[in-house]
Amino acid sequence: MSRRLLGLFLVLPALAVIALLFILPLIMSAVGAFQVDGSFGWGNFTKTFDLYTKDIIFTVVIVSLSTALIGLASIAIGGYLTLGNNPVAVSILRFLYRWPMFIPFIVVGQLMRTFLSKNGMMNNTAVSLGLMTPLDTVSFLDWRGIVFAFVWKQTPFVALLVAGAMASLNRDTIEAARNLGASKLRVLFEIIVPQVAVTLTVGLILSFVTMMSVLSVPLMINAQTPTMLTADIAFRVNAYGDYGVANALGLISLVLASSVAWIYLRISLKERT
Amino acid sequence: MSGDGFLQLRGVASRYGQTRVLKDIDLSIGKGEFVALLGSSGCGKTTLLRVIAGFIEPSDGQVTVDGRDITRHQPDKRGMALVFQSYALWPHMTVAQNIGYGLKLRGISREEITRRVLEMAAMLGLAGLEERKPANLSGGQRQRVALGRALAIDPEILLLDEPLSNLDARIRLSVRHELRALQKRLGITAVHVTHDREEAMVMADRIVILDGGRIAQQGSPEEVYNRPASSFVAAFMGAENLLELDGVRDGEIFVLQPGAAGEGGSVPVAGRALESGAVEARFRPEAARLTDIDAAASQPGVRFFGEVMSVSYPGGHWRHAVKVGGREIMADADRAFTPGQPVAVFVPAETLFLFNTPSGAPVSRPGLLPEAVKIPA
Repeated sequence: MSRRLLGLFLVLPALAVIALLFILPLIMSAVGAFQVDGSFGWGNFTKTFDLYTKDIIFTVVIVSLSTALIGLASIAIGGYLTLGNNPVAVSILRFLYRWPMFIPFIVVGQLMRTFLSKNGMMNNTAVSLGLMTPLDTVSFLDWRGIVFAFVWKQTPFVALLVAGAMASLNRDTIEAARNLGASKLRVLFEIIVPQVAVTLTVGLILSFVTMMSVLSVPLMINAQTPTMLTADIAFRVNAYGDYGVANALGLISLVLASSVAWIYLRISLKERT
Repeated sequence: MSGDGFLQLRGVASRYGQTRVLKDIDLSIGKGEFVALLGSSGCGKTTLLRVIAGFIEPSDGQVTVDGRDITRHQPDKRGMALVFQSYALWPHMTVAQNIGYGLKLRGISREEITRRVLEMAAMLGLAGLEERKPANLSGGQRQRVALGRALAIDPEILLLDEPLSNLDARIRLSVRHELRALQKRLGITAVHVTHDREEAMVMADRIVILDGGRIAQQGSPEEVYNRPASSFVAAFMGAENLLELDGVRDGEIFVLQPGAAGEGGSVPVAGRALESGAVEARFRPEAARLTDIDAAASQPGVRFFGEVMSVSYPGGHWRHAVKVGGREIMADADRAFTPGQPVAVFVPAETLFLFNTPSGAPVSRPGLLPEAVKIPA
């Protein structure tokens, strides 16, 4: 057997797994989205937009807002780890900030239910501190709860990447700016963040795509309308066995996710030229 | 020698954990003076510069500029600008943005910044490169951008942390002179850290040699070169040849005893604190004169006898490794001597540096001194 054939033979299992478990189902879903009662047509998409336009917008807004907040929070964490003066505070933060990464989304949903509901821990604490009366308490288990859960869960991941990139920067570039009189905030946003911008973008895009695909958090925190596309897909399949509309919703999610990836590709191409 | 004390350090000490990096540094630098901090790696010269710049707070002592105590001031409140060894240019900014950043921080108008940046770029030979990113510049150009960025804010004191060590050898030679000329023209006070003796000699008004966190000697280039205060300074300034001799002080004359190394001789004390006893004799290869063993000395000095071990031609003269009294030394000559040839190494009195051996005891010679006598010193 020639060397080249042997090589192909060695990667065959991996190729087969990708083809059978990823590419094939993807193609079948994509094709399925355009199939209505055995013939091809736009029926599933018409139905999807009639029923779920609000949910599509809701999903985009929630995930975009969460991504923005995650970006700010991870810059803040990375920035403090890089520029913080108090070594004790820095090491406590370094120890604490990663924990949410190891908690599954479903558990995050459960945690947020007990924390954010009308009689949840947050409101109870506020009431016992005399900040509000039990009558004034509101449940945060709506879009705000989803954003809260997403930011809480995804910030550590992006912060880990960003803090790593910040730690590997040439410290002299920071000191040079301090030497010329830049405040810490200016150093963070004018010197550090631009140098880790690519890492930050990659982290945020991965987070965006992850959040687009989370089912448990919207189901546990906000099952009423409007809700996120993942919850709608599950509903179409489980309640109606309607794979056509579910596939159409899936394809729309894919388009949303790919649009972000496209932005990333453009940035990285521009950097290379 | 100590200038008018524009920048002054009094009793400055710094420690890193348990290690004392700087010990009791007293230094006074005059306005417009160019001072080189010279030393091998780990001697504390960069730490000292960072203490001056305000990146390290000294554990003890005081730093003043023009009478103001700035020991605890932030780096940007000191009227100083630092040029980093790595240049530390911001890769996401253009040359113009790098140079103009300090001005932007000072809230200067955009037109004024553009004007100053163009002026600075023209002065440093960077005209036409303003829109480039640092990644697209050569090493020498980056170095000049770093310099431009520091000078743009018009600092009172320019701090240079081995700014030439990342340049290749040929460019380094010309940048030395450019930098020195620029410093003179601007009349700026400069503190330059380097481990390169020649660089310090060529550029500085005054050289401060650091050893183990202390100032070993400071003075003008010709002072530290021709009158080293210690064996360390002599070796650092190129007098690597070392011979151990015995001598007796006789008033203003120091008489070297004949021994394994040579016939001995006498040299003037010339104000040195020499005492009778064991001495370390140091001299530069280029100061030594290699002659046939029977040639007569034409001027005051000391002759050593040895045997040529090897010879090489570094350019301009022949350099010989000569075995003298169990030690190998280097000596230059205008012609090549063949290996194995017995030779005399003549060292003129003024180029022979003598220091009492730190232990203070004469080099032991069998039968002359009991071993125990040496120890208490």
